[in-house]
Amino acid sequence: MKVWDVLRLGISYVILAVSAVIAVFPIYYIVITSLSDIPTIASISVNSLIPQPRGLSLEAYKGILFENPFFLWLRNSLILAGSTVAVTILLAFLSGVALSRLNVPGKRALMVTVYVLTFFPMTVTVLPLYLMFATLHLINTYYGLILAYSSGTSIYGAYLVKLFVDSIPREYEEAAMIDGLSRFGAFMRILLPLSKPVLAFLGLLAFMGAYTDYAMANVFITSSNMWTLTLGMWYLSFINRSTLYNVFAAFAVLMGIPIMAVFLAFQRYLTRMYTMSGVKG
Amino acid sequence: MAYKKTNFFNYLYILPVVILVAFLYLYPIAYTVYISFTNFNLYHFFEYQWVGLSNYITVLTGGTFWQVLANTAIWTVGSLAPMIAVGFLLALILNQKDLKGRTVFFTLLLVPWAFPAFISLIVWQGMWNWKYGIVNKVLAMFGIRPIDWFDIVPMAWVMLILTNLWLSFPYYTSVFLSALQSIPEELYSIAEIDGASRLARFRYITLPLMRRTIAFVAIGGFTFTWNNFYPIYILTGGGPGNATNILVVYAYQAAFNNSLYNFAAVYSVIDAVILIAMAVIMLKYSGVLEAIT
Repeated sequence: MKVWDVLRLGISYVILAVSAVIAVFPIYYIVITSLSDIPTIASISVNSLIPQPRGLSLEAYKGILFENPFFLWLRNSLILAGSTVAVTILLAFLSGVALSRLNVPGKRALMVTVYVLTFFPMTVTVLPLYLMFATLHLINTYYGLILAYSSGTSIYGAYLVKLFVDSIPREYEEAAMIDGLSRFGAFMRILLPLSKPVLAFLGLLAFMGAYTDYAMANVFITSSNMWTLTLGMWYLSFINRSTLYNVFAAFAVLMGIPIMAVFLAFQRYLTRMYTMSGVKG
Repeated sequence: MAYKKTNFFNYLYILPVVILVAFLYLYPIAYTVYISFTNFNLYHFFEYQWVGLSNYITVLTGGTFWQVLANTAIWTVGSLAPMIAVGFLLALILNQKDLKGRTVFFTLLLVPWAFPAFISLIVWQGMWNWKYGIVNKVLAMFGIRPIDWFDIVPMAWVMLILTNLWLSFPYYTSVFLSALQSIPEELYSIAEIDGASRLARFRYITLPLMRRTIAFVAIGGFTFTWNNFYPIYILTGGGPGNATNILVVYAYQAAFNNSLYNFAAVYSVIDAVILIAMAVIMLKYSGVLEAIT
């Protein structure tokens, strides 16, 4: 028994260590590359990935911040992602609470419809939206993209808020309504604060969706001063072949590490919500 | 009277979602279905007509569609099986109470999920490079000659599935781990007193209690992977030729690279119909649908 336990733990540690190294390696690779004087992908070798203190430099970051329109792209991305978060939270909360609390005929049909809609490939909607937005002059505007991004997240969000609010006892609002609050007041004063966890989760999901989207931005944006970070990154890594690889790496670090930090900081809470929703982002 | 009034206001709350569903989903879906019956494309941009089933006949009798459909199945099943297996194994390992540093390992394993997938995929695209990529350079340390991951079809599948495994296993690990942790500890201690071996405890307690979670995760993972756009779009672009192309990527390329809107619509419609049919069958036999409404 004792031998078996030692063996079991030993194998467990080996598997975990190997998995952890593989999990972290690409991020390590990109961080080290961004800090080295590496002109092309060809000059990266197994040895160059072991950091040498005198080889470290911030040249690549200078290249990104001063020789590329990084801040313009960042601004566009943040405007889009921020607005998407606001629209998503507002719509998802109102409709989710209504779906959970109010008696509306056809509610079940709506829930099933919403669930089935998540099975459609995005190409089903992107193509008509593109044609629709072209006639409405919404191509190359923030509005078109914000609408396209928040439609998906707010519908899914309404469904998620409904599941969450179902678990809050009705007595909370009923007591408040007896004390003279209107139904809307009860929603805003009682349910809104209680729904903070699900709304925060939804906000992060909406932010991530808009901030890392390429497929829709590529279609709805044609002028380069509207480019987002993802379009800029695509340009730097695939179209503009003269981009230095360390500059690309620095771009990836600047765009990705903040998101990763937020995610890991809230991981306990996020994984619980993901388990509840059963959908991955 | 008062009852009627509330009922009317109830609709106002749901209205935003109904409008969104109608204008940003139902209308576009109907539009796509309509386009799939017309000759709307680069060659008939301003004047297009209803052509009936002819697009569907062209697509279904050509070889490309069946290849892309088979690829979609390979991609979905080929990705899902290792993801669930690895996710479950790592969750079981992390669930051992006498293991030290579980939180640290768990956090490290979450990194691929925490880092935006769009960026990781571009990074992986460089790492798999035949001549310059770090993967081949690491393999060279073990005396393995450089592998052309992008031009040899089986190798392209290996690359795609391994990359997708890297991207997705943290999700499966964390869902399985939280399900394992919700199994009451007493069940195991009672079984242990009764003399059940570790294997028997796994077979008769863990597996039956995990069945529902596995079904739930497998169905969600299936529908997600079936339409997972970025890995294939960024890594191979469906190449070489269409050897690794899947329905959703093919439809996107048909529409926005080649302006063949009618064929893009046909591919999208068929993609959705097949996926919905399979999802309905899977949901019916797993009881997940009762859980969501």
